[in-house]
Amino acid sequence: MISRRALELATAILTGGFGAAVVVSSLDNGIGWSSAGVDAGTFPFLTGIVIVLGSLYNLVRGVLPAATLASVPVAITSLELRRLAALFLPAAIFVAAIPLLGMYLASALYVLAVLAIPKHQSVPRALAMAAATALALYVVFERMFQVSLPHGALAAAFGF
Amino acid sequence: MDNLGELLHGFTIAVTMPHLLLMVVGVLLGILVGVLPGLGAPNGVSLLLPLTFGMQPVSAIILLSSMYWGALFGGSVTSILFNIPGEPSSVATTFDGYPMARDGRPTTALATAFGSAAFGALVGVILITFLASWVAQVALAFGPAEYFAVYFLAFASFVGMGGAAPIKTVVALAIGFAIAAIGIDTVSGSVRLTMGIDELVKGVNFVVAVMGLFGIGELLVAVEEEFHARAVSSRIDWREVFRAVGRLPRHGVALLRSAAIGCWMGITPGGPTAASFMSYGIARRFSRRGRYFGTGEVEGIISPETADHAAGTSALLPMLSLGIPGSATAAVMMGGLMIWGLNPGPMLFVDQKDFVWGLIASMYVGNIVAVALVLLTVPVFAALMRIPFVIIAPLIVIICVVGAYSVSNSYLDVVMMLGFGIVGYLFKKLFYPLAPLVLAIVIGDKAEDAFRQSMLISKGSLGIFFANKLVTCLVLAGIALLLLPLVLQLVGVLRKPATGSTVEEKVTI
Repeated sequence: MISRRALELATAILTGGFGAAVVVSSLDNGIGWSSAGVDAGTFPFLTGIVIVLGSLYNLVRGVLPAATLASVPVAITSLELRRLAALFLPAAIFVAAIPLLGMYLASALYVLAVLAIPKHQSVPRALAMAAATALALYVVFERMFQVSLPHGALAAAFGF
Repeated sequence: MDNLGELLHGFTIAVTMPHLLLMVVGVLLGILVGVLPGLGAPNGVSLLLPLTFGMQPVSAIILLSSMYWGALFGGSVTSILFNIPGEPSSVATTFDGYPMARDGRPTTALATAFGSAAFGALVGVILITFLASWVAQVALAFGPAEYFAVYFLAFASFVGMGGAAPIKTVVALAIGFAIAAIGIDTVSGSVRLTMGIDELVKGVNFVVAVMGLFGIGELLVAVEEEFHARAVSSRIDWREVFRAVGRLPRHGVALLRSAAIGCWMGITPGGPTAASFMSYGIARRFSRRGRYFGTGEVEGIISPETADHAAGTSALLPMLSLGIPGSATAAVMMGGLMIWGLNPGPMLFVDQKDFVWGLIASMYVGNIVAVALVLLTVPVFAALMRIPFVIIAPLIVIICVVGAYSVSNSYLDVVMMLGFGIVGYLFKKLFYPLAPLVLAIVIGDKAEDAFRQSMLISKGSLGIFFANKLVTCLVLAGIALLLLPLVLQLVGVLRKPATGSTVEEKVTI
């Protein structure tokens, strides 16, 4: 269970951190006015400052027991959190597997796992859908439009 | 009106059996690349280009431009059905198109979008027909200061809207600007904000950000709400397609206003993306039902779609008359023109009358063919909404992953896309507005470049934004649009003090 307050805080810290990184990084390009006009770092620097200040404001508002926040104390219940994880974790694993397995194999395994393991579909049907997904990707991208998707380190090891 | 005579001659070239067939083929291929993630009109046009070398230039350009129409229409399909805008200009369509489709009215949403898009394109072509030479002059009058003023106008019309917590809007907007700045700075050539990751030199592509923010983000919100047993109309009703199109004239004001905005932004090189955002923002402000925008309003679909296509069409004019490609697709087509032995530019209208007027006539016919074909496909696409969520969810993930990868064959893009997905979810959950963020990512660096170039010209004086009538009008209109909500709010506060702000929060995009 995650409270609305915790979520607000986490997001404000996330945006503030990004803003701080932008500010620091933009200093490399120089801020202000030089012979070449407005320096390249000026705009990023200003936007970074705005992000940091805005995030601080949101952070403070998130901590204070303001009326609107108090009315929705719970942002994500534990059931919702489990559903979120059930969708996001397999997707993250799928993305992580792409460099090794390649897009075709990884997406086929991903479809198979997501459909067959929670028993949404029978195993043969899930297998068929997985194969169809990979095949469709191959035909459309590799064949029709000649856009090469990653084949993966494993395929490279076997000489594809 | 010798233009009219030329146009009629053009029709005799465009309306022949082989050319009509080419249009059908082009439009169908265009719809395919438009619907598919990561592929767009530029891919399709570059693939077809080699096939056209043996053709007459007129036939070749008809095939390619038909493909372009098809892709424009197809791009709206995924925006409406899955909240994944395939190209920048269809982002604004998701705001009301997706809620309507999710609400069980995908047929209505698609048909409305296609109908108003066709209207916008038609107005754009009519404009080209009658104002070709005048339009070319307007485009030439545009310097950096005018560019900046146009972008400023687009921001002003969209950002000033109430709804979200103002500081959250500011943060979202600033983050968008920062993301747009990542990569090589076009004015100075230096590398910015890569934060130690060398691959970021190429910048963050818009498609990557949008697939994550909208596609994955929406999926996470949806799975949490568990709408797997949505009662989407089980039967596809053909009549609904025609009914939706038939209802369009009732929104005549919105159609005309959006077409005007679209044409204006297409000629002044603001482009279709700025046009669709601006049109949506203005519609939301002036429509009587503006409060309900974002929940599946018909005018929320009509406005961005009409403006998008009006701008997309009228933007082809600078390519023909000045030789300035307005988009990636136009650039590829221009390459084609040169290979076919034609020189784009003012002389084209004098030397190659058959070609130019054949093309313009084919825009009329091509758009009619495109809208007819695309309306026929509505039931097919609408049927996609009936696939159970457990099956469609992994497919959407794959679509986003493949789409993000194929933008520039980069694995980093895929990882970033997933990161944007989490950000999109958090922002949606906490009522940070996504629209200003996306708008800033898309046109942020162009606006910055224009501003800095004007500063270079004027040696640091802001006076350049009031140097002539055109730019002064644009800037003043922008400021007026920015201040309008403040004034209205003030009036509202004076009239009836403090009523339900909670409703406001809900309708935030």
